[in-house]
Order: sequence, then C-alpha cells, then structure tokens
Amino acid sequence: MKHNHEQKRFKYKKTVVKESVQMYALMLPTLLLIFIFCYVPMYGIIISFQDYLPGRSFFGDDVVWVGLEWFEKFISGKYFARLMRNTLVLSGLNLIFGFTAPILFALLLDQITHTRFKKVVQTASYMPYFISAVVVAGMVISFVDPDGLITKVLSLVGFEEQDYYLNADAFPWIYTFTNVWKTFGFNSILYCSVISSIDPGLYEAARMDGANRWQQVWNITLPGLKSIIAIQLIMTIGGMLNANSELILLMYNSATYETADVIGTYVYRLGIEGGQYSYTTAAGLFMSAIGFALTYIANKVSNKLTGWGLW
Amino acid sequence: MKKKHSNKIKNGNTTVTVILYVLAGLIALITVYPMYYVVIQSISDSKYTLAGNLYFYPKEITFHAYKLVMGDSGLWRAYGNTILYVIIITLLTLLTSICLAYGLCYKNLIGKKYLTMYLLIPMYFSGGLIPGFLLILNLGLYDSPWAIILTSSFSIWYSILVRSYFRTIPDSLAEAAKMDGAGLIQILTKIYIPMCKPIFAVVAVYAIIGVWNSWFSASVYLPSKDWQPLQMYLRRILVENEAKPTVGMSIDAAKEMAMKALTYAQLKYSMIVVTTLPVLVVYPFFQKYFVKGMVLGSLKD
Repeated sequence: MKHNHEQKRFKYKKTVVKESVQMYALMLPTLLLIFIFCYVPMYGIIISFQDYLPGRSFFGDDVVWVGLEWFEKFISGKYFARLMRNTLVLSGLNLIFGFTAPILFALLLDQITHTRFKKVVQTASYMPYFISAVVVAGMVISFVDPDGLITKVLSLVGFEEQDYYLNADAFPWIYTFTNVWKTFGFNSILYCSVISSIDPGLYEAARMDGANRWQQVWNITLPGLKSIIAIQLIMTIGGMLNANSELILLMYNSATYETADVIGTYVYRLGIEGGQYSYTTAAGLFMSAIGFALTYIANKVSNKLTGWGLW
Repeated sequence: MKKKHSNKIKNGNTTVTVILYVLAGLIALITVYPMYYVVIQSISDSKYTLAGNLYFYPKEITFHAYKLVMGDSGLWRAYGNTILYVIIITLLTLLTSICLAYGLCYKNLIGKKYLTMYLLIPMYFSGGLIPGFLLILNLGLYDSPWAIILTSSFSIWYSILVRSYFRTIPDSLAEAAKMDGAGLIQILTKIYIPMCKPIFAVVAVYAIIGVWNSWFSASVYLPSKDWQPLQMYLRRILVENEAKPTVGMSIDAAKEMAMKALTYAQLKYSMIVVTTLPVLVVYPFFQKYFVKGMVLGSLKD
C-alpha cells in the first residue's frame, strides 16, 4: 500500500512540474516584457546618483558618481518651493472638489427614482471622461479666450473679460474645474454600484422608524460607503504628488508656470525637453519616496480610525 | 408587474425631490453642453461665431470648416496611425492578460508567491519617466512606433482583472476535460476563453478608449510626425499652436481659411468634432462594460 502511495505522489509531483513549466512558457513573453519595461527602468534610477550623459553606461568606468548632489540641488533650487506649493495646492483642490464630487453625485443619483431620467443623466455624466485630455484642453483654452464661452459666462457674474489662459491666478480654478468636470461622472460609477448593494431592508426599517431622506443618507448610505471611500482616499492621497501632470502639461504655458508648474511637469520640461536626465530623475525619485510615505501614513491612519486599509 | 424600487425613499418632501431632479438635470446639461456648443459653432456661418451670440442652435449651417479639416492629409495619417495602434495594442493587451491570468490561475504553480510579487511590485514602484525614456533610447526604439506598441502591450491591472474572472470558472470543468485527455492549452482555448468573453469585452473597451485618447507616450517617444497618433496631431493644432492652428496644417489651409472667412475657433472645433464624434457616438453602447470593469476592479484584492 505504501509503495502505491509514494508512486502516486511522485507521479503527481511530476505532473505539477510539467504543467508549471508549460504555464511559465505561456507567460514568458509577457514576463519578459514586464522585466524590460518595468524592472530595467528601476535600475535606471541609479543615474540620479551619477552625472549621467547619454552614451555613458549605468555602470562601469565612465561613470561619474556625485552622490546626493542632484537631490541637494533640487531641494535648494529656486523652484523647489514653487513646485511643492503648486503640487500641494492643485492636489489639495483635487482632493476637496475632485474626490467629493463623484460621491455627492452618486448620492444625488440615488435619490432619483425615475429610471429613464437617471440613466440619461448618468450617461451624460460619463461623456467628458471619453473626450480625450487633448480635446478637453483645446476646448478650455479656446473657451478662456477673451471672447470665449467661459469668459463670457464669467463676465456675467462680474469677472472682467481677459485672456484667462495667461492668468496664473486663474489657473488652479480653471484646471480644477476642468479636471472635476472630466472625471466626476466616471468616478461615480464605483460609488453608485456600492450604494446599490446596500441592503434595502435597512431603508425600510429606517422609514418605518420615521427617518426622513437626509437621516437615511446619513445613517445608512454613508456608512455603507465608508470602506470604499477610505480605500479611494488612501489611493488619492498617495497619488497626490503626481497631480495629474498630463492635463496640466496640456493646459499650462510659461505665463502660468507660477501656479501651474508641478513636479511632474518640471521633470518633463527639464528632462525630456531639456535633457537634464540625472537631475530630473533625482527630483522624480524624491517625489516618489514622499508619495510612498504619504500612502503609508494614510493607510496607517485609516487602519487606526476605521479598520480599513490597503494592506 | 410592479417595478420594485428597493432603495428608494418614498416619503421624501416633494419640493426637495423636485430640486434634486432639477439639480441632476443641470449637471447633465453642464457635462453635455460644451461639446454641443463646439458642434453648433463649427457648423454655423462664421459671421455668427464672430458676433459671439451663438449659444443654443446653429445658424446658417455650413460645412466649410469640415471640408478644410478633412482635406488635410496629416489628419488622416494620424487617424490611421491611431486606428492601427488601437487594434494592435488591444489585441496584444488581451493576449498578455490572458496568458498571465491563466498562469496565475494554476493552483499548484511552482513559485507562485514569487510570481505574484514580481507582478505586484511594478504596480507600486516604477523607474519614473526619465529612466523609461532612456531605456527606449538605448533600445533603439526612439522615434519608432514600436516604442508605443511595446510599452502599452501589457497591463498588470487588466491581467489581474481577467484572473479574477477566470477564477469563477469551476474547477470541475477543467478536471473533466483533463480526464478526456485535454492539455493545459486546450483547456484554455476550449473552456476558459469561450466562457470568459464578457471580461475580454471589458478589457477591450478599456484598452480601446485608453489607446484612442493617449498622447503622452507619443510625446515622449515619437518626435517625428509620421507615426504620431491622432491626439498628437490635435495637440499640435489645438494646444501648441492655439493662436495659429493652420501652422500645424498644410500651407493651403491658411489661404482657404482666408477665402472662406472661417475663424480659427471654427477650424479647431470642426477638428474636435471629426476626431471625437466616433467615440461619443459609441460610448453609450458600451456603458455596461466599463461599469462592470470598475466593479470588478475594485474587488481585485
């Protein structure tokens, strides 16, 4: 009997090995792609400690090590304060408006019982998400012209007619509003689906106890959303330092750098366009490290307060 | 049959309900109006656009701006590039996601823990923009369409999404097939793939929209116009040369514009319509796919 057992186990192990090999063979091309395009660049971070010029290798004889020189240069540079401020301001605005808008919208939709109307409103709200960032930026830039749509509307409420595109003070608001407009509908999908999974019995019970609309939202709907909001919040805070540089890149110009330039756009401008590879890699690395720290802290806080977290 | 609105609050104050409905309607209008404005401006005679009082419906419909825009060969080249990228990248993304998902599904995979770590790390850490750029440079892929194709050909997030869906296929099916002598690949192609079409649709929809609207990779890796996608073309005209859009187009365009007395704004608006309308017309039909994707994506952990 024992002989049989061992034979079976051996055969089983053989099949597992054989099949594992097959699986890895299937996954190999993809794993290779991931290695080349995800892991190799991670090595490239090393150039932030070197004086790197294209043509030089990452390791070897012609490498010039400069230690933390680039980091020091970045932190003590004249633009550092501005970059940090802008990044935090724009991310902060995004947090206040961009994070809450989808939630509020989902709550509003929950109050709409007419199915047809609800569907139409929802479908309409997704539209800006599907319009490309380039087109949205193009539209906004055109609308803030002296005779553009947005300028006209603003003049109705008392703002003077000017070219808002070049106005650095206006940028944070124009950018934030555009960003919220573009993403609130799509981002509300998640909240809508969580809301729809809340036990209807809870609402019934509340109604019978005489709870009005607002009480039901406060006591049933919001608590039901607590965990998803916590997770989304952690991710948003962790990504704060990235401040959606793509859209900013499309909407800013040299006249608005004062309030529009963030780390991401700075790295793009000086790195890709300006060729200062080591310096911008150091800047980027610095920001990633802080971003990671933020995620960690946010996660810890959330765990302490609500018991929910990413890990 | 009575329709059951389970979560609905029946005893709400009517005035408040009306206000909420109006609010929702207003929001819907705000999201739709800018595009509507762009459309009516682009098809109206230019004297109305200049007068600046055109808000609700087009006046004296004319398609001059469209003729001009569609006559630019650069537009069609970019359009073609984008369609090419969409098709290739979507197919590759599906392929890589299926391969990874299937491998991850294999219960007794040797080294599964390490594999999972290998896949999760890049989701949280990355080399950053510059090292990625230098890699492409060193690989000789700079200014080649392959830079865009290869970097977008895989997505760990989509792979995990597909894996979550694969997991819902009961093991008994695979075991039964094995008894009939089926190999692992056959199980994949004859059982998993046919049964998982919904998730493939979700991934495809996400990938298509993602590629169609993407411009950043191209701006970093493709300096010359030949292989640039549509959004790069638009960026040149709508964003970079926003004062003089014709700079990005062929020389005759400027002359024609003067002849037809079109405004720059109209030109830009027609371009927006031509390049965005396909997406806008199609997206309502694919709502259920990205809704599903969002829901599944949030459950991945």
